[in-house]
Amino acid sequence: MPSKKVIETKKLSRIFKNGEIEVHALTDVDMVIEEGEFVAIMGASGSGKSTLLHIIGCLDRPTSGEYNLDDVRVNELDKNKLADVRNQKIGFIFQSYNLLSRTTALENVELPLIYDRTGQFSNTKELAKKALEQVGLADRIYHKTNELSGGQQQRVAIARALVNNPALILADEPTGNLDSKSSIDIADLFVQLNNKGKTIVMITHEPEIAQFAKRMIYLRDGRIISDKIIEDRSTKEFALKELEKPVTP
Amino acid sequence: MKRFLKIFKVAFQSINKNRTRSLLTMLGIIIGVGAVIMTISAGEGATLQVQNQISGLGTNLLMIQTKSEHKAGINVRMGRPIDKKDFDMLQKNSVWMPQLSPLVAIGAQAIGPNGYMSTTVYGVSYDYFYITSREIELGSFFTEEDVKTAKKYCVIGETIREELFPGQDPVGRQIRIDKVPFTVVGLLKEEGTGGMGQDMDDIVVAPYTTIQNRLFGHQRGYNLIMASALSEDHIADAKIEATELLRESHKIKAGDEDDFEITTQIELQEITGNITGILTILLGAVASISLIVGGIGIMNIMLVSVTERTREIGTRLAIGARESDILTQFLIEAIVLSLVGGLLGIVFGIIGNQIIYKATDFFIPTAVYSILIGFGFSALVGVAFGYFPARKAAKLNPIDALRYE
Repeated sequence: MPSKKVIETKKLSRIFKNGEIEVHALTDVDMVIEEGEFVAIMGASGSGKSTLLHIIGCLDRPTSGEYNLDDVRVNELDKNKLADVRNQKIGFIFQSYNLLSRTTALENVELPLIYDRTGQFSNTKELAKKALEQVGLADRIYHKTNELSGGQQQRVAIARALVNNPALILADEPTGNLDSKSSIDIADLFVQLNNKGKTIVMITHEPEIAQFAKRMIYLRDGRIISDKIIEDRSTKEFALKELEKPVTP
Repeated sequence: MKRFLKIFKVAFQSINKNRTRSLLTMLGIIIGVGAVIMTISAGEGATLQVQNQISGLGTNLLMIQTKSEHKAGINVRMGRPIDKKDFDMLQKNSVWMPQLSPLVAIGAQAIGPNGYMSTTVYGVSYDYFYITSREIELGSFFTEEDVKTAKKYCVIGETIREELFPGQDPVGRQIRIDKVPFTVVGLLKEEGTGGMGQDMDDIVVAPYTTIQNRLFGHQRGYNLIMASALSEDHIADAKIEATELLRESHKIKAGDEDDFEITTQIELQEITGNITGILTILLGAVASISLIVGGIGIMNIMLVSVTERTREIGTRLAIGARESDILTQFLIEAIVLSLVGGLLGIVFGIIGNQIIYKATDFFIPTAVYSILIGFGFSALVGVAFGYFPARKAAKLNPIDALRYE
């Protein structure tokens, strides 16, 4: 039985116009990501990975081409519908966590449910607690965000991305602000969530973190130059062991 | 509705997170609303006091005097003075004015056994006490007979008694007014400050005949004739009657202007009411400027807050907030700030009124409409000055907002 397509793009292009100069950030990107995948998108800065993430995340619209997200034709949506799609279908994780300061972990995780317009979530507090349990922060529910470590803050952000049970979890450099040990913990958390069936797309420029994913897409100058299944996936134990090896010049 | 409540909660949380800043922001509104309430109430209090004192004089009062005009800042009499002929004629012919009294006034020195003071001596007839509804505290008024025979009797006010007979009963004692000895026959009941701020008890009242004979040495005109109408309903009748009688006796041709002026108590109340009303509006307007300044303060802080929270706004947009949600949140924040400020301002204004009352004995009734104006104005300020920053927040591009450092 073929899996459901979560993301499907056809000839996706994005051109930024700055006066006379046209910048082709994305050119003819064809991509299909199915339910249950864990995809790492890599590329140098300027390769178009951020632009791709913004379009996938419904924060930006393509100049041309087609984008379907979980059977929704995103091209045709207006601003408010885009906001609703972001609210219902996507869980965002950012490099710098983007949590509300001086606010408890629980209140942060509840945030997406505040903007829900479908009325499907009745007990927001319970759902937020469950999400925090999933990321291993059951004992930090009432801690304020500024009382948590970087790794813990990113876990709160992941819980926030999980709480509305989205079709897609979108992570933008999730380990960019973390030390190596915490980075490995977060990557391992993604693997666990993926094992439970979550579809995850992660942008990163750290190869050792990308190695945790099932599939890797490499972008250069706005085009996909490689798209392959990762054969030797990294594990937490392996990555921690690698950390202890002396650096050879 | 539930979602709105949640957004309301979000707005409240962020106000609570920045407590010091929120309070300082509110300060402008607190002072503004407080000032509006205090100034409007003070104006109302002044009006009330003036009106009370004027009606205390007797609402049926009419004052007939020679027409005067302001010339180079001085009152210049334009016609012939009102005199005994006018008085007798009015007393004989008037139907609507049962009480009439001449009034001659002179500034003089009153000397008693224990002191002296400069005061105003009013020469009047017996009817004066009835017209002005003054009451006696000790002794009695002088009589109609005393006026006829120009007895050297007088009735004094409380302020005079305090100076001339401190702690003593003045009845039967002698005072000298410009070297003429008068016997004090009565002490007037205390009345306090008058409608124009004058001391109503700094007064010596004597028969006008005595004043004219002994102090003036002549019997020319009066300062004015005081009269009281039959009832409040007949003040207009009385005025018309007096006008007709005086025009006839002064032989003024039809079409020519009067050479006298008749002022009624009601006109006096209207005039002072107008003056204090204008004053209240003026003071209120000045006070509401501080409210607008307070509003600008709120706008300022909200703009800073929007810039400071650009990342937060970006995050909210990314996780599914619509523009309208962000607009609502920031608008509610501004409105809550100004409404809470408004409420505190009302409390501040009421307490301020009480403090002024306690400190100066000047009663300020906190006008209910001033509270409504203050509160309404602060809500309006919140919406007006909150909208611009809120719109700015809502229109942020989520991608740029997320990247904002």
